[in-house]
Amino acid sequence: MLADKDRIFTNLYGFHDAGLAGARERGGWDGTKAFIDKGHDWIIDQVKDSGLRGRGGAGFPTGLKWSFMPKSDPRPSYLVINADESEPGSCKDREITRHDPHLLIEGALLASFAMRAHKCFIYFRGEYIRERERFQAAVDEAYEARLIGKNNIHGWDFDLVVHHGAGAYICGEETAMLESLEGKKGQPRLKPPFPAGCGLYGAPTTVNNVESIAVVPEILRRGATWFSSLGKPNNTGTKLFQISGHVERPCVVEEEMGIPLRELLEKHAGGVRGGWKNLKAVIPGGSSVPLVPADLCEDLTMDFDALMKVKSGLGTAAVIVMDQSTDVIKAISRISYFYKHESCGQCTPCREGTGWMWRVMERLVKGEAQKREIDLLLDVTKQVEGHTICALGDAAAWPIQGLIRHFRHEIEARIDANQAAMSEAAE
Amino acid sequence: MSILSEIFSWWGGNTWGTRFTIWKIASQVGEDEFGNRYYLQRSGVGPLGKPRRFVVYKDLADASKVPAEWHGWLHYTVDDLPDENYKPRAWQKPHKMNMTGTGKAYRPKGSILRPQKRERATGDYKAWKPE
Amino acid sequence: MSKKLIIDDTEIEVEDGITLLQACEQAGAEIPRFCYHERLSIAGNCRMCLVEVKGAPKPIASCAQTVNELRPNPDGSPNVILTKSALVKKAREGVMEFLLINHPLDCPICDQGGECDLQDQAMAYGVGGSRYVENKRAVEEKYLGPLIRTFMTRCIHCTRCVRFMTEVAGVDELGLIGRGEDAEITTYLEHGMLSELSANVNDLCPVGALTHRPWSNTARPWELRKTETIDVMDAVGSNIRVDSRGPEVMRILPRNNDSVNEEWISDKTRHVWDGLKTQRLDQPYVRRGGKLRPATWEEALGVVTQKLAQTEASRIGVIAGDLCGAEEMFALKSLMDRMGVANVDCRAAHEAFDPSLPRSSYLFNTTIEGIDDADAILLVGTNPRLEAPILNARIRKRYLKGGCEIALVGAQVPLTYRYEHLGTGPAALSELADGKHAFAEILSKAKAPMVIVGAGAYRRFDGEAVMALAARIARAAGKDKAADWRVFNVLHTAAARVAGLDLGFVPGKGGLDTAGMLEFAKHDGLEVLYLLGADEFDMPPPDDVFVIYQGSHGDAGAHRADVILPGSAYTEKSATYANTEGRVQLGLKAVFAPGEAKEDWAILRALSAQLGHTLPFDNLTELRAAMYKQAPQLQRIDDVTPATEDPCSALIAREGKVSDTPFAEVISDFYLTNPIARASRVMAQLSALKAAAATDARVTPFGTDEASVQYQMSPEA
Repeated sequence: MLADKDRIFTNLYGFHDAGLAGARERGGWDGTKAFIDKGHDWIIDQVKDSGLRGRGGAGFPTGLKWSFMPKSDPRPSYLVINADESEPGSCKDREITRHDPHLLIEGALLASFAMRAHKCFIYFRGEYIRERERFQAAVDEAYEARLIGKNNIHGWDFDLVVHHGAGAYICGEETAMLESLEGKKGQPRLKPPFPAGCGLYGAPTTVNNVESIAVVPEILRRGATWFSSLGKPNNTGTKLFQISGHVERPCVVEEEMGIPLRELLEKHAGGVRGGWKNLKAVIPGGSSVPLVPADLCEDLTMDFDALMKVKSGLGTAAVIVMDQSTDVIKAISRISYFYKHESCGQCTPCREGTGWMWRVMERLVKGEAQKREIDLLLDVTKQVEGHTICALGDAAAWPIQGLIRHFRHEIEARIDANQAAMSEAAE
Repeated sequence: MSILSEIFSWWGGNTWGTRFTIWKIASQVGEDEFGNRYYLQRSGVGPLGKPRRFVVYKDLADASKVPAEWHGWLHYTVDDLPDENYKPRAWQKPHKMNMTGTGKAYRPKGSILRPQKRERATGDYKAWKPE
Repeated sequence: MSKKLIIDDTEIEVEDGITLLQACEQAGAEIPRFCYHERLSIAGNCRMCLVEVKGAPKPIASCAQTVNELRPNPDGSPNVILTKSALVKKAREGVMEFLLINHPLDCPICDQGGECDLQDQAMAYGVGGSRYVENKRAVEEKYLGPLIRTFMTRCIHCTRCVRFMTEVAGVDELGLIGRGEDAEITTYLEHGMLSELSANVNDLCPVGALTHRPWSNTARPWELRKTETIDVMDAVGSNIRVDSRGPEVMRILPRNNDSVNEEWISDKTRHVWDGLKTQRLDQPYVRRGGKLRPATWEEALGVVTQKLAQTEASRIGVIAGDLCGAEEMFALKSLMDRMGVANVDCRAAHEAFDPSLPRSSYLFNTTIEGIDDADAILLVGTNPRLEAPILNARIRKRYLKGGCEIALVGAQVPLTYRYEHLGTGPAALSELADGKHAFAEILSKAKAPMVIVGAGAYRRFDGEAVMALAARIARAAGKDKAADWRVFNVLHTAAARVAGLDLGFVPGKGGLDTAGMLEFAKHDGLEVLYLLGADEFDMPPPDDVFVIYQGSHGDAGAHRADVILPGSAYTEKSATYANTEGRVQLGLKAVFAPGEAKEDWAILRALSAQLGHTLPFDNLTELRAAMYKQAPQLQRIDDVTPATEDPCSALIAREGKVSDTPFAEVISDFYLTNPIARASRVMAQLSALKAAAATDARVTPFGTDEASVQYQMSPEA
C-alpha cells in the first residue's frame, strides 16, 4: 500500500485550499526555475528514467513520446493536454483539475519547456463546466503571480489556453481533439502523419493526458528513481484508481501501480458488496476494455502488463465492479449503445458496425436470438477491430469480445430460456 | 358441361368423384350469383377443427370464380353465410374471375399484344415554329 | 529518389511520395476504393482500400499512406505488400458488408444502376449473402437544387461530394452533419447549390445517392450509344461524351483530358442537353407576305441564290456565330471569296483581334495546363468563373497549392480564390503598364507570371489600345523568364472564335467588320446579311435588309430571318473546334439532325453549286484537306501548336488612346449565353433560381456572402 509520504496528489479530495497559496504549502511550484535551468533534455531524460507511461489508456512511455518532438523546427511546437475525460467510469482528471490544478499547470510549463513549446492548450470535456471554472481561476492566479505568461519568473514564455469542448466522446481521441481545437468537426485524422510531425495547425504537437502531465513536477522534485522505485518494473509509479460499481464505498484513490485488485477494493472501497465471493466481473480500465470474470480476479494485479495477460487492459484504471446481481449482458449492451451513440461517422466499419453490434446485443439481452448469432456478433467485432481510423472501433469491439469470451454460457442460457418460454406460450 | 364429360374427364370442371364425395359427406348451404354451389360438412371436423367447407363450380373449375362474399366464408375468415342482408361496399366492382392466360387477359398500355397503336417511348424534339 | 517495394511477389520501384494505392496500381494490383479520388484530397474513410503490409499489426488504408511512411524493415529489405491475402480479402468483405447493411439495395430503380461503384465492387469483393437482420436506416431526401436528385439512404458517406464542393468548386455549401449512424450529407440550410460546377458531384458519387435530376429515370447506361466529342458552350473545349438513344441525346458526361478539363464540366455544358431538343429548326422557311412559311430545300435555296446573285458583292454581309465549327466557316469563307464578298466577320462587334498579327496575339498561350506552373496571375477585364468555369477551377487549384498571387483589373466579382482588386478600368491598367503599381513588381519578380485578357477588355471600342496596354504589362513581366514561358493570354468566350481567326474569317480588303456591317445596314447600304448561327447582337438589323439565317435553333436570328436554312447543332455534326489555347479538337456526330436539317457544310456546298461557284469538295475529307492547306495548324488534332512568336511587340504597336470606361462584365447570365442554352428548360430554371437567389438574403448565388467578401481584397481595405 502506498505510504502517505509518497502521494503526489495530496489534495485529491479537496480538503485543503486548491488555490496557489495552498498549492505552495503542499510543495507546488517549488524549484521550478531550477528544473528549467537544467535544460530541455534533462527533463525529458528524467521522465524517461522514471518509466512514466501515459495515463490516458494506451500506456505509451511519456518520455519517449516527448523525445519525438523536433528539436529545431521553424514551426512552433504545441503541447495539448487532454482533459476530455469522457470514458464511462473515469473520473480522475476532474479531481486533479478542480482540487490540484497547480500541479497540472506546473507540469504543463515543465512539459512545454521540455518540448520547446511556448503554448499549451488544455481541452476540457464539455460537461466539465465547474471544473473548467476552477481550473481557469487557477490559471489566472498563475498568470497573476507571473508563474506563467510572457516574461514570467521562470524565464520561459509560456501561455496556457483553456479550451472547452462541446461534449463529444470522440474529441478525446488525440487527432480529433486537434481538429476540434482548430475549429473543425471533431473527427480523427489519418495517421501517419503523427501529431509530433504535423499536429495542431500543422505544427509539431504532443497530446498528453492530464494525469501524465500533473505527475511530472513531483517526479522532477523527488527524482526519477523515487518514481521508478514504486510499482513494478515497466509499470512504475503511482496511479489514480477510480473505483465504481458494486463496492461499499466507491472512490478515487492514488495507489501504487501493480497493486492487487482485491487489496485495492478491500482497502479503499470497502470491498465488493456482499463480500468477495459475490463478485461476478470487473471492468478494470474504463468501458473500452474487456471485462475480467471473478475467477481471474483472485490474484490480478492492476498494471498494464498483468491486465494485458488476461486479455484486458489498464486503460484509465477506472475499475467498474459488478457483483452477482448484475445482468452482465445488459451492462455490455449499454456500453455498446454508448459507442454507437459516440461514433463520429467518418469511417465505415465503426459507423455501421457499432449500430449493428448494439442491435444484436439488445436482442441478446432479451434472448431473442439464435445461438449462431453469437458467432456472427463475434465476427462483426473482429471486422470492426483494427479496420478503423481511430481506436473507437476497437473500443466498441473489445467489451463485446470480452463478454462472449467469458460469459457465452450465460448468453446461451438466456436464448434457451427465451425459446422455452416462446414454445410454452405457443402451446 | 355434360354429365358424360364430367365422368370421363378430370380437367376443366368438377369430376364425378368430387360430386360423389361432397354428396356423401356434405349438404348444400347456398349458391352464388354465378351458379357455384357451396357445401358444409354434415358431421365431424376437418384439419382446422371446423366442419369442412366446399365449393362445386358451375362449369369450369377455377378458384378465382368465387366472389368476395363467399370467399370469406369458404376460407374460414367468417363463419356467417352471406345472406340477403349482404351488401357490397360502394367501391366494390362486380366480381370477375382472373382472366390471365386466356384471350381476355389484361394487357397493359404499350403491350405488344394490345391491338392499339403504341405511343413513342421517348419524346423526340420540339420544332421551332414562327409565330 | 525512388523506393523499392514488393507488391504481390512483383518487385517494383516507385517514385517518392506517392500513395501505397498508386504504387499498387503501378504494380498492376487492383485496389477497390470509394472515397479515394485522384483529384480530391484524401479522406481515408471508406476503408475499402485496406492492404496488408508484412510486419504491420493491422491492415493499412492504402490510399492514405505514402510509400515513404512505411516502417522500414529492420534488415533493410523492401516492404512486402499483399493485396490478395486472406487477411485483405476478409477485411474487404467486412467493409463491403458494413457498407451494404444500411444500403437499400434498390438497384433496379436506381439511376446509378449499371455504372455504380458499389454494385461493381460488391460483385468483385463482397460476399454473396446478407447476415444483417435488423432494420435498415432510412435518411430523408435533401434538396440540393434542380440539378441534383438525392436518395440519401443510399449514401455511403465517402464525402467525395463535400470535398469536391470545397476544394474544386470553391464553395462551402455541402457538408456532413450529425455523427455515427446519423451522419448525413446536406447543404445545412436545404437550399439548392448554385455553383457552376455543382453537377459534377453526381459523377463523383460512387453510389446512387446523388443522381442527375433533369434526366433521372430516362435511360440505362447500357442502352446508350456513347460518342466522344467536344463541348461548345465556352471556349475551353471541354471533352465530353454524348450518350444517345435512337435519335435523342439522353445525357452529356465529362471525359477525362488532363490538359483541358481534367474530368469536370460546367453545369451548362452538361445540362444544356435538353436545349438540343427544343426550338429546333427542322425545315427551311421562306418569308412570304411578311410571314415565315415552310418551304422545301429547293425553294429556300432558290430564293437565297436569286437574292445573292442579284446583289452587288459590296452590299452583302456575312457573320459567323459563336458555336460554328471550322468546316462550315471555311466553306462559307471560300464561297464568299469566290463571289468577291469582303464583308465577312466571325468576331462579335468591336473585338480587337487581328489574324494578320502573330497567332499568339489571340491565344491563351500559357495553355490551361500551364496555369499549374504559374506563380502570379493578372486578370484583365474578365470573370473566369462565368466565362470559363473549368479554367477558373484550374486557377483555384493553383491557388490552393499556395504561392500564387492573383490580381484583377475589372468589375469586382466573387471568384473562388482570394485576389487583389487593382481597379475597374484601363486607368489601373496604365498604372501597371507604367510600373507604378506594386503588383507590377510582383509580376516581374514572379518566375512564371500570366496576364489573362478577357472579353471585358478586348471587346470594346478601344479594345486595341487596351490589349496594347496588357501586352506592355506582359512584356515587362516576361523579361528574363524561361524562354518557352508565354505571359500574354487571351480568354475567349466563344468556341468558334479561334478557328475562325485561324481561317481568316475577317473582313477582306475594303470589307466591313461586324459593327461596320450593322452600321452600314442602318444607312441602307447593306442589302443581304448571311448569318451562320449568329444570334448575339445588341441591335437587330433593320427591316429592309434581307436576312438569311443558317442555324440549328430558333432564336434571335431566326425570328428576324427572311430565309431559314436549318443546320445542325454541335452534337449532330462532325466539326473541328479550336479552343482558347488554340488546341484543335474534333467533335463527332452523335445523332442526326432533326427533320430536314442538314449538316452546315453540306448546305453551303449545295448553295455554292446553285450560285455557280461550286466549292471544290464533295465530302468532309476533301473539305478538310482543303482547309488544312489554308490553315495547317488545324490538322494537329488534340494538340496545341506552340506559339513561337511573341505577340507583345505587334500588339503594342497598335497602341492608342484608352477611354476611362470601366471594363464591362460580358456575361450577364451564365446560363443563357447561346441559342441552345436559351432553348433549354433546365438552363432557364437555373437562371431564374440564380436571379431569385440574388434578391434573397439567405441564399446568395455562387457561394455565401461571407465567402465573396473574404475572397475580395481591395487594396483600400
